[in-house]
Amino acid sequence: MKSDALRGHLDALLLAVLDGGQLHGYAIIEALQLRSGGVLDLPTGTVYPALRRLETAGLVVSEWSTVGGRQRRTYRLTKAGQRSLVAERTAWREFTTVIDGVLGGGPWPAQA
Amino acid sequence: MAGAGVIDAYVTALDRRLQGPDAVKDDLLAEARDSLDDATEVYRDAGLTEEQAQRRAVADFGPVGRIARDYQGVLALAQGVRTLRALLLVVPFTHAMWETSRLIWIGGWPAFGPTGTPPVWYLAIARANDWTGWIVAAVALVALFGGRLLARRGARTDTLARLAGSVAVGMVGTVVFANLSIVVATLHVKPGNLVLSPMVTGATVASMVILARLLVLARRCVVFASV
Repeated sequence: MKSDALRGHLDALLLAVLDGGQLHGYAIIEALQLRSGGVLDLPTGTVYPALRRLETAGLVVSEWSTVGGRQRRTYRLTKAGQRSLVAERTAWREFTTVIDGVLGGGPWPAQA
Repeated sequence: MAGAGVIDAYVTALDRRLQGPDAVKDDLLAEARDSLDDATEVYRDAGLTEEQAQRRAVADFGPVGRIARDYQGVLALAQGVRTLRALLLVVPFTHAMWETSRLIWIGGWPAFGPTGTPPVWYLAIARANDWTGWIVAAVALVALFGGRLLARRGARTDTLARLAGSVAVGMVGTVVFANLSIVVATLHVKPGNLVLSPMVTGATVASMVILARLLVLARRCVVFASV
């Protein structure tokens, strides 16, 4: 999947990955790849500026902490981030329901 | 170790393309290096040589030109936020500091000319100058909250940086104009008021130094957003 198609959804994807708890940057990238079955084709370097933008928006907070014996910047959702994720999930379900109704139903009108 | 410098070269190239607050830049680059080291470790564990692993990690991270554009947006925005926060806190503080100094060392202003009161236009400039600090602080606060809301609506980092920089430059320009206006007006109406007390003159000089620093910060907003 191309990165241009993902850019518009990157914020929501990052919030969803952080829903499980605090993670450092590379763990977020691994989770994105794992949960997409390895399909996400995104330059990993674009994830960090996106995380900083979410931090500016007050949706995540970050701090340097020791993970696995190394100092790493870790990110976690704020309450506003959790609310935003709920809204994104609702909007996505509505969107996919509508699109699936049109694209997923075969020829229209249904042929006997 | 063959290829041990692939990540070093990449991070150095990224570093050279970025301009912004040193602490934020160092933080971003440290995080980038961590990520590259993590990716290298994964590829090395999968059987690649150190050099191959580093090259794959760097390739995954993205072309340095593209990544630098995103990182530069973060740095420019950080500078914008820093300048707006400075305006929010420093401008009202400077005004309060100067007024307190004036009240302590001068008290009420001596009579202006034969009528005892300054011209109407002078009073208007003085009142406008008194309000400027608070108005600038209010605009900075609105810009900070507005920027956060825009970020939540998906506004691009470089767009936010340019907006923050524009507001910062506009507000610093307003403060400079207001300060110069009252100084020039006082020189015209009653120049002696500018040197009534060495302590107040010192407070005026301190205000000008703080203003010069704010000008530098505002200029950096423009420079970092234009890289």
